[in-house]
Amino acid sequence: MKNSFDEKILEEANDWLNANQKVVLATVIQTWGSSPRQVGSRMIVNETGDFSGSVSGGCVESAVVRECIGLIKDNKPCKKIEFKVSNESAWEVGLACGGEIAVYLEQIN
Amino acid sequence: MKHSQLKEIIKKKASKIEFAIVTNLENGLSEIYEPGKSLSKEFVIHKEQIDNFFKLKKNGVIENTEIFIETYIRPIKVIIVGAVHIAQYLVDFAKSLNFEISIIDPRGYFASEQRFPDMKIINKWPHEAFKEIETNENSALIALTHDPKIDDPALQHALIKKFYYIGALGSKKTHENRCQRLKDAGFNNNQINSIHGPIGIKLGGRSAPEIALSIIAQLISETYKK
Repeated sequence: MKNSFDEKILEEANDWLNANQKVVLATVIQTWGSSPRQVGSRMIVNETGDFSGSVSGGCVESAVVRECIGLIKDNKPCKKIEFKVSNESAWEVGLACGGEIAVYLEQIN
Repeated sequence: MKHSQLKEIIKKKASKIEFAIVTNLENGLSEIYEPGKSLSKEFVIHKEQIDNFFKLKKNGVIENTEIFIETYIRPIKVIIVGAVHIAQYLVDFAKSLNFEISIIDPRGYFASEQRFPDMKIINKWPHEAFKEIETNENSALIALTHDPKIDDPALQHALIKKFYYIGALGSKKTHENRCQRLKDAGFNNNQINSIHGPIGIKLGGRSAPEIALSIIAQLISETYKK
């Protein structure tokens, strides 16, 4: 059975929009291998980089925030990004768990 | 997504309507779909797959397409019998876990608004109270009074309606007596053994929030087993 453990973020997105903030919604749309969060996991990001919710266990959130701010700056409606296994020798963003995830970003306006 | 669509989603969730959001990941177009209702030109060719995702309560991308489906289902109904101290903590946990809680307690001094602000408490005996709550095999019961007069009718209702989780507070001895009473009332061993008693996973905790945590942990575990 599925419980909707993860849906309160939309109410928060609505609060941010009502406070005249720009909001990008990031959703995990696909996962391969062992990924930390399931499909449908979400976070929201505003134009100043404040964020709430999660799409991983803290592994890729900083990159998602950067991408979301970029989306607002370029005034694009949506974008799909993928994250793969991290290279531990480099200081790059990736999933230490060895999984892969695809995240869909969309502006709410 | 438009802000107006987000508002509509929140409204539908609040009125406990089950629906799905269908999104074209290439162009960003999205719409709300309810089973039995029509889809726009953009998505109508995927109707069969969308219905299939809905049936399985699944989220995901339709294979070989750029169409993402997210299903929204009603929160799981959890009925607590006994507006006791542990119930106050269960209500707190349930808020962040998105369970829909109803509390039954015929004892007015327990079921006060001051003890449970913003909570609907049914101040009636279980056999009357259950007339006000629609329950089925996706419902859960947490019996906390360990008073047979109050707990037993609720347990019997949950067994008859085949709740997926039934737990009852009380010591091993209390639970043995409870099982015997249910047996005398005509319930079989399979039914009786489906009751989690003493309730909760073994954490070793003793305080009300600790017991609430062990109950909620067991409830989540059973939710994912189903």
